[in-house]
Amino acid sequence: MIFLNDENKLRSYLFFLQIVWLAINIFLFWWYYLVYDLGREYIYTRELLGPFLALARAPAACLNFNCMLILLPVCRNLLSFLRGSSACCSVRVRRQLDRNLTFHKLVAWAIALHTTIHTIAHLFNVERLVDARTEEQRTLKTALSDLGDIPGDSYLNFARSKDPSPKGCLYVAFTTLAGLTGVIITLCLILIITSSTKTIRRSYFEVFWFTHHLFIFFFAGLVIHGVGKIVRKQTPDSLSVHDPDTCAKNYTLWGEIPSCPKPQFSGNPPMTWKWVVGPMILYVFERLVRFWRSQQKVVITKVVTHPFQTYELQMKKKGFKMEVGQYIFVQCPAVSMLEWHPFTLTSAPEEDYFSIHIRVVGDWTERLFQVCGCDKQEFQDAWKLPKIAVDGPFGTASEDVFSYETVVLVGAGIGVTPFASVLKSVWYKYCNDALNLKLKKIYFYWLCRDTHAFEWFADLLQSVETQLQEKNNPDFLSYNIYLTGWDEFQAAHFMVHHDEEKDVITGLKQKTLYGRPNWENEFKTIASQHPSSRVGVFLCGPEALADTLNKMCISNSEADPRGIHFIFNKENF
Amino acid sequence: MGGIEWAMWANEQALASGLILVTGGIVAVAGQFKNWQFAAYSIAAGVFICLLEYPRGKRKKGSTMERCGQKCFTTVVKAFGPLTRNYYVRAFLHICLAVPAAFLLATILGTVCLAIASGIYLLVSRVLLR
Repeated sequence: MIFLNDENKLRSYLFFLQIVWLAINIFLFWWYYLVYDLGREYIYTRELLGPFLALARAPAACLNFNCMLILLPVCRNLLSFLRGSSACCSVRVRRQLDRNLTFHKLVAWAIALHTTIHTIAHLFNVERLVDARTEEQRTLKTALSDLGDIPGDSYLNFARSKDPSPKGCLYVAFTTLAGLTGVIITLCLILIITSSTKTIRRSYFEVFWFTHHLFIFFFAGLVIHGVGKIVRKQTPDSLSVHDPDTCAKNYTLWGEIPSCPKPQFSGNPPMTWKWVVGPMILYVFERLVRFWRSQQKVVITKVVTHPFQTYELQMKKKGFKMEVGQYIFVQCPAVSMLEWHPFTLTSAPEEDYFSIHIRVVGDWTERLFQVCGCDKQEFQDAWKLPKIAVDGPFGTASEDVFSYETVVLVGAGIGVTPFASVLKSVWYKYCNDALNLKLKKIYFYWLCRDTHAFEWFADLLQSVETQLQEKNNPDFLSYNIYLTGWDEFQAAHFMVHHDEEKDVITGLKQKTLYGRPNWENEFKTIASQHPSSRVGVFLCGPEALADTLNKMCISNSEADPRGIHFIFNKENF
Repeated sequence: MGGIEWAMWANEQALASGLILVTGGIVAVAGQFKNWQFAAYSIAAGVFICLLEYPRGKRKKGSTMERCGQKCFTTVVKAFGPLTRNYYVRAFLHICLAVPAAFLLATILGTVCLAIASGIYLLVSRVLLR
């Protein structure tokens, strides 16, 4: 019997959703391909365009679908609202809403692919239409292309000028609304993509953010792209009197014999706006909400500098409610008008302020460091502190931690930050109402190269431990720090030469281990000490570690429902 | 804005333009469009641009994130010395390469994209000259 824990359920649910999305894409492509490739009303259109009619329309349908979807994953306030209000929804639904950006990128790639197919098909279309228009010999194609020359006639071939290719093609592309908007929006798409690569996003955020706003022109052009109605089909009235199957060969006699009057054509009305208008409105609301939230006053109540270029901002905002493990976006106009950066909240919900810990890693964090007066020695007046805007909180709450009796918390590197919030909250709950707290035992594993970057967290761990000892419950929290950048030889060498140093590492000497944990041993030890319980395993760290822990959870859980079960929860940060 | 190394974006844009030129060129050659010879040129130019732009340049600030397998390309590109190192030259080169592709609809998108990349390189080189 395979015990499917929550994490595996979530992953298979997400995978299922992606399969559904892919299936809809394939269905739309196939369906609209057949509509245009088999429909009787398009027989004459296909005479001119061949298979490239259907090959252009099928990706167009997929583009409608994907352009509708692309705006939705980035409406983070809307998603937050859905998550918060869906008390009925299971945890897995709420969690999957956080994988928004991955989905946004997937849909973006689909848009790029369909745009490519659509454009290539239209290149063939335009060439064929222009050739048909300028053909010397009298053929069915030329007869069809001549339609519309006489005033009052409807046209089929939208290349009306008689310029030959390639000049004629360029003329069609740049003088029809569809052609011009097509070129412009494709260009916008290309610029958006080239400025969204990982290098540009991570290192030159402003280039990415600014260029990405070309999407406004993209959607504007997309909506008017079909207004010219140049995808032509034979009208139903015309089909009833002029049968293409029989009349096609009599193209020289159209209008002269009663059985074959001149065929009449009309264009399909634009459809795209129906697909995208909803998400566009939602996105406008999203931006308005973000703007409104950012205008709400945020006061920095305290700035604390920690060793090794780390600083803490304690803030207050009216009506701010958070849960453990959530994150916020922070903007500081004094540093940059455009940039919003995400930070995990390190305070507990029980506190009357909320805090973030920031490490100086780049221009923005460095500038904020200066603007908050962290580089000055003397006390700073409160009015000198900069104005801050906050959006959020976002993210799944880690409140599941409190629904287990025993938990295993694993934080790798910077992933340790959300656990600051968790530990503090546990402490507050313990102080307030120890008897009613379901949580009785925490095993904490901290993996990092060195603890320098997180001195403040090491302090926190020690202080919680000391306070628990004072409350006569030293066994509540067991923690170990694994310095993964070291090996035993290096460690021994370091100890011999730096024994006299009184830093945090020395203080935590007995808790500090070198290398990586032997998870098999750890899990077996925990299993032996808690024989028949459900143990929650929480990780904030890299994928590889998630896979390892997931496997450990499965292999160390007993098939017997009364035995021990490890339930794996990976946090999404 | 001063800290932004625009050349990084110019590089991405130029690489994309190369690919677009190749694609447009293949379409026009395969479909035997009128004046498809311009498309054949476009394929050659596109391939050349991709080879030139594939190695990501060294950044002034921060570590360089190399594209996978770029070492062999880097040696060839570096062999041309100032011709490839100087962004002014690159800007000029790209705009020249872009012009012949403007005569066909299939490749004109490549022209515009490459012209934009050229413009960004020009922006970078003028900043350096100042």
